[in-house]
Amino acid sequence: MLVHLPPPWNPIFGRLGLILHYRYNNPMIFFAFELVFVGAAILLFWLTCTRRWHTLWRDWLTTVDHKKIGVMYIVIGLVMLFRGFFDALMIRTQQAMAVGPTAVSFLGAAHGYLPPFHLDQVFTAHGTIMILLAVTPILVGLMNLIVPLQIGARDMAYPYLNAVGLWLTATAAALVMIALFIGDFSHAGWVGLTPLTELAYSPGPGVDYWIWAVQIGGLGTTLGAVNLLATIIKMRAPGMTWPRLPIFTWTSVATNIIALTSFPVLTAAVGMLALDRYVGTHFFTAGLGGDLMMYTNLFWTWGHPEVYFLVLPAFGMISEIIPTFSEKPLFGYTTMVLASMAIAGVSWSVWLHHFFTMGASPGVNTYFSIATMLVGIPTGVKVFNWLFTMYRGKLHFETPMLWAVGAIFLLISGGMTGMMLAVPAINYIVHNSVFVVAHFHNMILVIVYATFGAVTFWFPKVFGFKLDGRYGRRFFWSFTAGSLLVFVPMYLLGLMGMTRRLDYIAHPAWYPLLLIQVVGIGIYILSVIYFLGMLAVSINRRETRRVGADAWGSARSLEWATRSPVPFYNFAVTPVVHARDEWAWRRERGLTDLRPERYVDIHLPRNTVVPLVIGAFSLVFGFAMVWRIWWMAACGLVGVIAAVIIRSFARDTDYVVPAEEVRRLEEAAARAPRPDTATAAAGATLPPHAQPSVRS
Amino acid sequence: MTMKTTDDTATGQATGGLWAFEDRGHDPVSTRTLGFWLYLLSDAMIFAALFAAWGVYLHNTAGGPTIHGIVHPLYAFAETAVLFTGVFAYGLAMSAVKRAWRGGALLAMAAALGFGAWFLGMEIHEFSGLAALGAVPERSGFLSAYWTIIALHGAHIALALLWTGLMLVQVLWSGFTEKVVYRLLNLRLFWHYQAVIWVCVYVFVYLRGAMR
Amino acid sequence: MFNRLKNHSRIARLIVLTPVAFLGGCADRPFWLFHPHGPVAGAEFHYLIADVIVLSAILLPVTALLIWVLRRYRAAARAPHDPRWTHSTRLEIVVWGIPLLTVGVLAYLSYQGVFAVNPYGPRVLARAAAPERAAAQVSAEPGAGLEVDVITTDWQWLFVYPSLHIASANELVVPTHVPIHFRLTSATVTNDFFIPQLVGQIYVMPGMRTEQSMIADRPGAYHGIDAEFSGPGFSWMDFKVRALPRAKFEAWVRRAEHSNRRLSFRTFARFARPTVNLAGTITRFSKVQPGLFAHVVAQAKAGKAYPTPYAFTEDMHEAKFLRHAD
Repeated sequence: MLVHLPPPWNPIFGRLGLILHYRYNNPMIFFAFELVFVGAAILLFWLTCTRRWHTLWRDWLTTVDHKKIGVMYIVIGLVMLFRGFFDALMIRTQQAMAVGPTAVSFLGAAHGYLPPFHLDQVFTAHGTIMILLAVTPILVGLMNLIVPLQIGARDMAYPYLNAVGLWLTATAAALVMIALFIGDFSHAGWVGLTPLTELAYSPGPGVDYWIWAVQIGGLGTTLGAVNLLATIIKMRAPGMTWPRLPIFTWTSVATNIIALTSFPVLTAAVGMLALDRYVGTHFFTAGLGGDLMMYTNLFWTWGHPEVYFLVLPAFGMISEIIPTFSEKPLFGYTTMVLASMAIAGVSWSVWLHHFFTMGASPGVNTYFSIATMLVGIPTGVKVFNWLFTMYRGKLHFETPMLWAVGAIFLLISGGMTGMMLAVPAINYIVHNSVFVVAHFHNMILVIVYATFGAVTFWFPKVFGFKLDGRYGRRFFWSFTAGSLLVFVPMYLLGLMGMTRRLDYIAHPAWYPLLLIQVVGIGIYILSVIYFLGMLAVSINRRETRRVGADAWGSARSLEWATRSPVPFYNFAVTPVVHARDEWAWRRERGLTDLRPERYVDIHLPRNTVVPLVIGAFSLVFGFAMVWRIWWMAACGLVGVIAAVIIRSFARDTDYVVPAEEVRRLEEAAARAPRPDTATAAAGATLPPHAQPSVRS
Repeated sequence: MTMKTTDDTATGQATGGLWAFEDRGHDPVSTRTLGFWLYLLSDAMIFAALFAAWGVYLHNTAGGPTIHGIVHPLYAFAETAVLFTGVFAYGLAMSAVKRAWRGGALLAMAAALGFGAWFLGMEIHEFSGLAALGAVPERSGFLSAYWTIIALHGAHIALALLWTGLMLVQVLWSGFTEKVVYRLLNLRLFWHYQAVIWVCVYVFVYLRGAMR
Repeated sequence: MFNRLKNHSRIARLIVLTPVAFLGGCADRPFWLFHPHGPVAGAEFHYLIADVIVLSAILLPVTALLIWVLRRYRAAARAPHDPRWTHSTRLEIVVWGIPLLTVGVLAYLSYQGVFAVNPYGPRVLARAAAPERAAAQVSAEPGAGLEVDVITTDWQWLFVYPSLHIASANELVVPTHVPIHFRLTSATVTNDFFIPQLVGQIYVMPGMRTEQSMIADRPGAYHGIDAEFSGPGFSWMDFKVRALPRAKFEAWVRRAEHSNRRLSFRTFARFARPTVNLAGTITRFSKVQPGLFAHVVAQAKAGKAYPTPYAFTEDMHEAKFLRHAD
């Protein structure tokens, strides 16, 4: 570990001495400090004042309940979304300020207020966070929450592994946040361009932070994929045959096949890069037999399937929301399933379109161009099917429906520019331009829109009350206005010839459009306020917003058959499935009010602290590896292994909820249609620990 | 499976068809095995990526040692024999588990442990020989890839040894409980998976070196 | 294909540009991609227009249909509601057929385009150049033209004219109507060579050689861009491009030949130190040591790197930085 490093390094503190060279007097860093630490202090104060430490520990930190894990994934995602948004704010204001050689300069920058040393970290963090630590956790969280409910399972196949995945993701997020204060973050873009990420061109710890955040977070996602696939294959309720699987679950199958097979390629690529930086191998260096384009190939072999890993669940969400608010089943279910699988399959053969300009032979470029266009076929089919689902329907424009319809419009425009980029002759003039940036933000907005729709759609299922519609609509429209004002000018700037990742804008002609983008960002801030307002208003008035099992009155799939909020055991008695849209099938036959005549014992996994411990030790490991503190890294690794081994000796890992207890809970819920308020906000009626445990 | 009342006539009053009362008891052993298969698939993808890269790096010797200069297919054949004997020993352990013969299982697992350790020792010996030649991973892209593939496989074997040791303790500790059995079954998959990967290593690395 | 497209593209240009023209402010023709001044960029732009036309023919009706459905079937409109209508084989064929057909057309277009602007020998160059080259009285035999070796460092461009033994840093000067053949390599990290109005992008990679070709149709000043992020000095790494008529180009060459800055392998190593070209400095070199390009490639292959100092641009007003960034 032996690579000649620029000093300082010592065996006890590793390279931590480097932080003496940082300028902590930069007000931007100070502001970030304030924001994070004041926020954390307020949170800790609130937890202590309201005596929630015990609840937090018992109901959340040590839980293995898939619903709570899902909620925590989404909370991590939203927090990181906020962080990534701040990064975006800085990029946009910097670019608007740093136009022309006479631009103002502050804080050590030649132009604007962020010198490249900072801006490069900001855009790298923005990309890494938004894709791997915001959108991915939110989607994984939603799949965690909804998939077991949709297939009528008690929990995931491996609840303990599920918690491990969550805490590994949290560790990755924590590493990225630590990089904000201790040392620096990578400056080489979220894709980790080689050989820029090699030690010669990135001598600091920044790239190492990026490497370990990506590795640990990627491991968490891979474990999550194993879990979701096994759950869907093994844990379906009786009668839930494959052709009856709800469409969101189908897209989860497709997406987790992608995750399971593609994330290891990222692990391999980034692992080889880590070897280059730590051991001195020559995988991606320019010389001595290194092959820097090998990294680019491997990265995008993961990177492109990753894009579909993100977009497929979004398609699933749109396919759940539109039928519900059209009062009509999904048009062309079989086609939709086939299209999802086709997208998953084709996603593996298109990676080279991310670097058509590499100088590959025309034959190679033609192949990847046509393969890329093939993705447009199943995607186009999906748009048509949503259209025909709404045709002859009865459309109710509740907030989830607004987001879903918005996503379709975005998909059409993003698909159009995507098909442009798939043609190498066009790609040559817009590759690496902000046109590409606008295109993939457009596509990621499809995912964001579908996700906001899905969060509003399933929120009452999980928490028992609806989100406020008035604020929801304000949130939607301000978010849409912000998106248009930021990304339409960005497309135009791309056609003007502006390239991406610029710290300094040499051409004043781009200035007006950059200013419009800043206005758009301002409206995005407004939408964040509306979002927080929506949460505050809805939680305040939750008593008036309570819902029954079917929150929307026209929902269709199985998750709506259990009561809202979902009890910790999901279904009092495992339902038998008779049709593709089981809840709609029961509603049409007037079966929705029937209750089981008897109850049976329910087996559930017991809470455990081990996943949290594994997360903590992996954080120690990651941090120590970044700073090359070898003794500490060894402690972290041994800690993880020891935790796994100790857990393997635990015998008392399950407990049983007796049938009588289930009856009591169900009847209490039936007597009081408005459930108990104190615990409902936490997402479940009664925590598992309130139950007597019986050794299994 | 309670699929009796799917026809419309039976619904309305009879709620029996709507719920499955008997706990179908999703078979934990087969669920675990499926999950482990899925894990192996993702692990194999790491090796797939490395082997794909190997095809390129094979020629990137940067003027240093080439594949023909450093591999010894016969020595590697001996390694293969040792490793496969270890895998075979573990297979015997599983057949002892089938007969619930604790002593036999322990003995065979200990043998697998021994052969695995022997294999690792041979690999370390090979690596130290390479290092003495100056054929270290820092020398060229080719040597980086060579060391990485073999060391990664070796790391998997080390993990298998740790796991086997742990299972020895667990079999002694609690006998053939359900949890111990599915772990033993998964470990069997893991041993065989290592053997499969080694076959690829042997063919694409060592035999490739023997070809002129 | 190409000629037929020309008329369409004018109309399309008008349609696209009218609403956005005022957004560009005072600068003339801010949409560089819509104003190509060479056959390669021209072909690339025409493929862009053709692609947009084909896609619009599908996507505009679909969008219109979507808006119609959203209005017609909103609950308040009391339109016929048919909750049983979920499948139609005929429609399924249509919904798979339309995208399939579109992709077929675009795939053909793409296949054509790849060869038309192939960086290793654009067909469009051979075709477009012939008559104009005759007019410019340049020898018409294939392969004729001007060779330029492009070498990138952190963070400057060096354009070497091997046949003329001169070089120019951060400024590319080319004669009009003459095919220019570039060979590109990097001394440090990957860059991306891009002149929006003349030619599309090609990566410039250390230890490797890529190629690109172009012709400038009209004399003028253009902007060259490094499109691939390459580290802290990247934003200041553009280069100026001047296309000059034959006589003026020859005058420029003579001036360069009289420059007292020489470029040998040794002075190149000094030139290649990390430098942020804040002031946009242009330097001309005479008596360039032959084989510089091959030397840079070989050195990169042998592991030569020009390391970036740690936290290089944290304070760009610092004396230490400014000295380094001359």
